Amino acid sequence: MIKLLWLSGITCNANTHSFLNYPFIEQFLNDFEFIYHPVLDSSYTLQEIVSNEIECDVLLIEGSISPEFQRADVSIEDIIRKYAPKVQKIVTVGTCATFGGIFSQSDYKDVTGLHFDKEQKNQKFENLFDKTISISGCPIHPEILVNTLYAIKGDIALRLDNFLRPKEFYAYTVHNGCVRNEYFEYKVDAHQFGELEGCMFYDHGCQAPFTHASCNKILWNEVNSKTRVGLPCFGCTEPTFPKANLFTTKKNMGVPENLPLGVGKRVYLTLAGITKAFKIPRLEKKLLDD
Amino acid sequence: MIKLIEKIEGEAKLNFSFKDEKIDFVTIEFMSTRNIENILKGKHALDALVINPRVCGICGHAHLIATVQALEDCYEDLKISNKAKIIRELTLNFELIQNHFKWFYLTLLPLFGHKQQVLKATYPSQLMAKAIALFGGQYPHTSYTIVGGVVCEPTEMDIIKLNHYIDETIRFFENNLVKTDSNSFLLSDKIDKFLEYEGDLITILQQIKEDDMLALGKSYDRFISFGENSYFKKAKSIKTKVNDSVSIEYVKESDIPSSFAKSVTFKENYYEVGPLARAMINKAALVKDSHRKYGDSIFSRILARVCETSQLLAHSKKLLERLDLSEPSYINPNVDISKINGSGTSAVEAARGSLIHKVELQNGIIQNYEIITPTQWNLSGGTKKKQGVSQKAMIGLSDTKTAELVFKTFDVCSVCTTH
Ligand code: SF4
Ligand code: SF4
Repeated sequence: MIKLLWLSGITCNANTHSFLNYPFIEQFLNDFEFIYHPVLDSSYTLQEIVSNEIECDVLLIEGSISPEFQRADVSIEDIIRKYAPKVQKIVTVGTCATFGGIFSQSDYKDVTGLHFDKEQKNQKFENLFDKTISISGCPIHPEILVNTLYAIKGDIALRLDNFLRPKEFYAYTVHNGCVRNEYFEYKVDAHQFGELEGCMFYDHGCQAPFTHASCNKILWNEVNSKTRVGLPCFGCTEPTFPKANLFTTKKNMGVPENLPLGVGKRVYLTLAGITKAFKIPRLEKKLLDD
Repeated sequence: MIKLIEKIEGEAKLNFSFKDEKIDFVTIEFMSTRNIENILKGKHALDALVINPRVCGICGHAHLIATVQALEDCYEDLKISNKAKIIRELTLNFELIQNHFKWFYLTLLPLFGHKQQVLKATYPSQLMAKAIALFGGQYPHTSYTIVGGVVCEPTEMDIIKLNHYIDETIRFFENNLVKTDSNSFLLSDKIDKFLEYEGDLITILQQIKEDDMLALGKSYDRFISFGENSYFKKAKSIKTKVNDSVSIEYVKESDIPSSFAKSVTFKENYYEVGPLARAMINKAALVKDSHRKYGDSIFSRILARVCETSQLLAHSKKLLERLDLSEPSYINPNVDISKINGSGTSAVEAARGSLIHKVELQNGIIQNYEIITPTQWNLSGGTKKKQGVSQKAMIGLSDTKTAELVFKTFDVCSVCTTH
């Protein structure tokens, strides 16, 4: 049985609760043992975890890290230093633990992720770099965390990107699979909130075309995604999360400042010019009207 | 004697002092704060809709609803469709329901010597999360409701799906918590008769009776609630006397020297918030009968939280009947938020009680933001002379284990408290 330690840094606990949304949680709990989890019954108390050295295979870290932050009166960095060398793998669970996330703006000193301070690589825990896998997201998608843990259990070699995120999940952009794709492709830029139609890339800040994640491939709660309902993607899996002015698209002379991944400005403008020349009646009218 | 209380969405330290082998006083200490209010300063108003759900991973949706209502309160006359209002109320209900299930099966059962029932917690709460995701795209941490309405445009097919999620959750409740059909359950008004049913709730309530714990956890018998919608009322209840002249104006926050949490009072007094408070204000028959017999004890508090789950499920079905999909989901505000100068206040009922947000905007930029969370009300720390609600409930007990039980019947949320 693989033993897991779920350690919380500076966090809102949403990764903990998102994990509880995994549909086959019973199966998971049969295959893994939590020596400590912040909500679920576990073999040890937090007090015991910080004052002893309990055997453990995978260290899961949720929340951002600051040298000032303590859990049960012990510095979070010391707890990491105690358990990290012994475990087989470390998984940073969520954007805070990976990049610092929103709580890097809190009042604590030097708040970062385990290995990254936004895009910048940290030196502090460099010796642990090779055993870490990042599952970014604010919060994490339960299936992505769970399947990664099964990959660790099954000794499956995961290909990782520069931020140590498994490519199987993070090589996609959130834009892949959005039901609003046609409005994007043909540059129908009249999106209004509260409608089935339209793409939020042009005016309403959708960051999906340049955000690495599988939200429109592996749906949330098995039913939906932000962009499908009409909410822009805020880029929560990226080191830059959260950016500012999240509901508007920043543009320079009418061109979005951030273009789809790998698409240069010239390509974008050429394509935009062509699509703009056509009018596609189907995309100009309401989807469900005659 | 200091005891670290774990698994309350974080931890807290209870420092007990004993006199004649009874708890004579207890201080409650939270060891950290993230200072979200500071993070919000200088940010674009709408960004608060993305930041604030991150106050709390278990009740973040209440923070979203409180945020959008505080921002909308900054406008002079903003139009919101009935449809958007109903959808907001529905998704908030779903969060309350899922929180209550998690509390019962994950937090409460172990306190009574039973094993946690993870699947019984996650099955209904996943259904409720799906129900939120139908409108919000995901749960936790959606920002689907914005100034002017909601971003989604649900179709009849979504509503069919939603009805199935709700019905299945009702069925789960009827098969597990109280084994009867919800209609007879909702009509119960005599606690003794009610205890003749079977089910997980009944098991716990019987255990309280058999183990002589009926008198545990009584406090001031003083309740308050600020959130208003088609189900909850803004009012206070002193014992059973309900009075609806309450104004947020008289709510005051103050520092507690030993803790990162802040105390909160209404007209200088501590009040209990949460399901028991709401049931007393709503005069929910069964809870009132329990209160008449057993007062504001753990028995009534536990009963109230579970009853509310069933009531909110039934009420959500009624709300759905009133939903008119032909109305607009979103009405573009007549003034862009970047031109808004002013302040706004909101109150919503979150799982654990009244949640208050206050915002000040200048040209659509946040100048100041204040959040008062439900747990702050129940856990406000007072002095020996003037104890807080949960402090008072623990005094006189003879051991810290029972004190922990009493403490946790308030459904403590550490992350909210240390926002
Ligand atoms: S709304 Fe976002 S995810 Fe959907 S098509 Fe447009 S850019 Fe892509
Ligand atoms: S859609 Fe974007 S903001 Fe939403 S969860 Fe996915 S990556 Fe995060």
